[in-house]
Amino acid sequence: MNNKIKRPILWKLILIIGIPLFVVYSAVLIINYNLSKDAALKQEKAYMVEFIARNAAQLNGQFTQITDLPRGMSNIIQSINDINKEEIYSLLEQNLAGNSFIYGMAVAFEPYAFNKSKKLFAPYVRKGSDQFTHLDLADNSDYTNSDWYSIPKLLKKPYWTEPYFDKDGGNILMCTYSFPLIWDEKFYGIATADVSLVELHSYMQKMQKLTGYSFIISQYGTYVYHPQENTIMKETIFSKAEKYNIPEMREYGRKMLRGLSGVEPFSDPITQAKQWLVFAPISSCSWTFCGVVPESEILKDVNASILKQITLMFFGLIVILLIIIWSAYQITNPIRRLAKMAEKLADGDLDVQMQNIKGRDEIHELSVSFNKMVADLKHYISDLTNATKAREAVESELRIARHIQESLIPRIFPPFPNRSEFKLWAKNIPAKEVAGDFYDFYFVDEENLAIIIADVSGKGVSASLFMAVTKTLIKAKSNVLNEPEKIMQRVNEDLCYENDAVMFVTTFFALLNVKTGLLTYSNAGHNLPYLIKKDGLPEQIENTGGMALGVFEDAVFAAKEITLQEGDTIFLYTDGINEAMDVDYNEFSYKRMEDILKNIQGKMPKKIIEDTLEEVETFTLGAEQSDDITLLVLKYFGI
Amino acid sequence: MLVIVLSADDGGKLKTTLKVQWFPQAQFAGFIMAMEKGFYQAEGIEFDLLFSDGSDSPIENIISGEVDFCTAWLSQTIPSKAQGNDLVNICQLLQKSSMMLVAKKSSNIKEPQDMNGRRIGLWSGDFSIQPNAFFEKFGISFEQVPQSYNIHAFLADAWDVTSAMYYNEYHKIIQAGINENELNSFFFSEFDLNFPEDGIYCLKSTLDDNPELCRKMVNASLKGWEYAFQHKDETLQIVMKYCDEYYMQTNIALQSWMLDVIEQSVKYKTGETRSDWGYLKEYDFNKVCEILMNQGLLKQKPIYNEFFPGAQHE
Repeated sequence: MNNKIKRPILWKLILIIGIPLFVVYSAVLIINYNLSKDAALKQEKAYMVEFIARNAAQLNGQFTQITDLPRGMSNIIQSINDINKEEIYSLLEQNLAGNSFIYGMAVAFEPYAFNKSKKLFAPYVRKGSDQFTHLDLADNSDYTNSDWYSIPKLLKKPYWTEPYFDKDGGNILMCTYSFPLIWDEKFYGIATADVSLVELHSYMQKMQKLTGYSFIISQYGTYVYHPQENTIMKETIFSKAEKYNIPEMREYGRKMLRGLSGVEPFSDPITQAKQWLVFAPISSCSWTFCGVVPESEILKDVNASILKQITLMFFGLIVILLIIIWSAYQITNPIRRLAKMAEKLADGDLDVQMQNIKGRDEIHELSVSFNKMVADLKHYISDLTNATKAREAVESELRIARHIQESLIPRIFPPFPNRSEFKLWAKNIPAKEVAGDFYDFYFVDEENLAIIIADVSGKGVSASLFMAVTKTLIKAKSNVLNEPEKIMQRVNEDLCYENDAVMFVTTFFALLNVKTGLLTYSNAGHNLPYLIKKDGLPEQIENTGGMALGVFEDAVFAAKEITLQEGDTIFLYTDGINEAMDVDYNEFSYKRMEDILKNIQGKMPKKIIEDTLEEVETFTLGAEQSDDITLLVLKYFGI
Repeated sequence: MLVIVLSADDGGKLKTTLKVQWFPQAQFAGFIMAMEKGFYQAEGIEFDLLFSDGSDSPIENIISGEVDFCTAWLSQTIPSKAQGNDLVNICQLLQKSSMMLVAKKSSNIKEPQDMNGRRIGLWSGDFSIQPNAFFEKFGISFEQVPQSYNIHAFLADAWDVTSAMYYNEYHKIIQAGINENELNSFFFSEFDLNFPEDGIYCLKSTLDDNPELCRKMVNASLKGWEYAFQHKDETLQIVMKYCDEYYMQTNIALQSWMLDVIEQSVKYKTGETRSDWGYLKEYDFNKVCEILMNQGLLKQKPIYNEFFPGAQHE
């Protein structure tokens, strides 16, 4: 549980809820921005067009009034016969008073047209600070070469001059409207109205402002009004387009010259910011009124609104993030508690219990299951503990039983150290705590040694008790009877008496006269021992044909005799040897046993037993011992 | 008088003056830059550049001794020389005439002959020599109207053809929103009427008395021109500063165009390096004399070598 969690639920929730939400929200925002931007641009463009057109129309009204005055004068002068100088000045004054844009007015006559004796005559009235000033333009120069005179004369139609600085009449930056006096198709001169660009400038300054700036260009692109006054007369819209390398501006300028309106984009040459150029014609003077508005200004509200939305989204996302974190905590906290509980449980604490489980969700279900599991586990462990305690008690009893059993059979080896006639060794390995097999040997008198090997049917406690009984009986009987078949018979009778358990025991009993080597034996259903003659092969001794003890009360037992020679060995065993099984349930078999016995020449009983057990152990490696194993080997040496 | 003007000051420097025939503009950028960059000073000349306002004549000024050097056109100086004023050309700066006639395509004037019977704006005086030769050459009769120093009448269609300097009025037409492809141009230089324009002049006596000064003056001036062509942005900034000082109604785009056209004229049939510049070709000299004589403006053709005693620079 110490491993760090690689992908916590929190991240998964953020991934599946937070990120899609963010993406969707951003997409909505972007779409909204574009839509708002388009709408704002459309609206603002419409507004700008309207604004520019309105102002252009206003100026056009002013300029139409201006153009009306020289025309009117032309008609009046034509209508008055022999008009005199004073009348003209008075007429000029009257006209001049009516219009604030007009700085001065003149009637410039063709040479000798006014007075046959005076070549040039051009009465001019200009506004002073509080009164009109009268001048004759002819006093200062030959006006006939001036644009305001020569061009309309040649064109035979009214003409607006480009801005110029008039040092002869007005001493001011101006544009002149010239109206040719053509009466009866004869040219008599020019009536003019000078429009002060200073006045225009202050008019424009007072005008309602568009964000950005506005300017006016003449019919040839010259700046007539521009907030930067130093561009007037020096620059045209085309020279600026050239200077800043904005070819599209030249195209827009050409549209203006054709008297068109428009809304056109361009990049500011210095900041590269997108700008909108809006223009509308002032038709009475063929000028164009223009406005320049930075797109950033148009989008100011949209940008502010988007910024607000972004801020809201940011806080919204934070709230959602907090909710996600809270939800994740709500989900993962009980799980984490469960995990900790499970960990404690794994460490053996069975008293853990999930507390305070709220809700009716899956987590609740899991917690209830967990608690039930813990309770079940507790029960199980408790049962198991009790069972183990009981078993341990039994095992303890069995250990005691074994000790007792072990004490029943001879345990001191070598058994008869002061006897040189033979060597004897025996071994009993029970399959369970207590054995059903047993061996025994004892001298019944000075010369006769009793040798017993037996195998009780079944194993365990009952078998061992039956074995104890059998052993005691045999020993008791052999002390009073010295014929093996009779001992067998009497023991059988005793065992059969009230043998409700229907147990039996295969027994081989022999008496060896250690002086003579005569071995008298009686077999009660036990595996026949082997006799290995000195330098001979192992051979089973002859059977006496008796049945296992404890089966029939009336059973008959016989005895046989063989004489052991010096160096002969007698090998007693229980079926725990020949029937020992390996993991594949193959039996050790007589053959393997006999193979061992073929190679015992020169070996003492202890060694023979050890070798045999080693072979069996090797054979059964990994398999559980299925039956008790008992061996008894005697090697006879004689006197 | 000359002696007074050409006196050396205490530091051993030669004081001298050059008067050009118009207000400051890129047409004189080389002289301005030579002065601004100290090229005259480096030659040991204490130099003063004077600008004409169009009402006076720089040639008259050198004849009277008010100034030592001036710039002028061959069409002005050759008749003056023939009238006995001992002028010499010490550097023929501009090789190609910038004078031209321009018509709007809308007026349907494609060939010189198409100008027959049309109204044509002409400048007065020396500026009418080439156009008159042109009209004579093609036998054109037309209505002549006096042209002022702007193009407004042409723009207003008050006349069909206008006189123009390629480096100035022509570009002003462009800056009034008319595209080049909407115009038909007639360069006099393309009709064997190439009158080399601005050249540097002084009296012969100035050259004889102080050849060193003349050489240094021309050297420094050409260095100035070379510098102007190689550093156009810087040059234009300085030229504009001069223009503003003289309240010129001009803009940097026009001055930039002018500097380019002047450069083409200086290098026309000469070369890229300043040692190639400043020579008066005998062909051009003869051509101008021929036209002047045809128009009765010149009776006796001056001797080429006396008029142009050779290039006065390294």
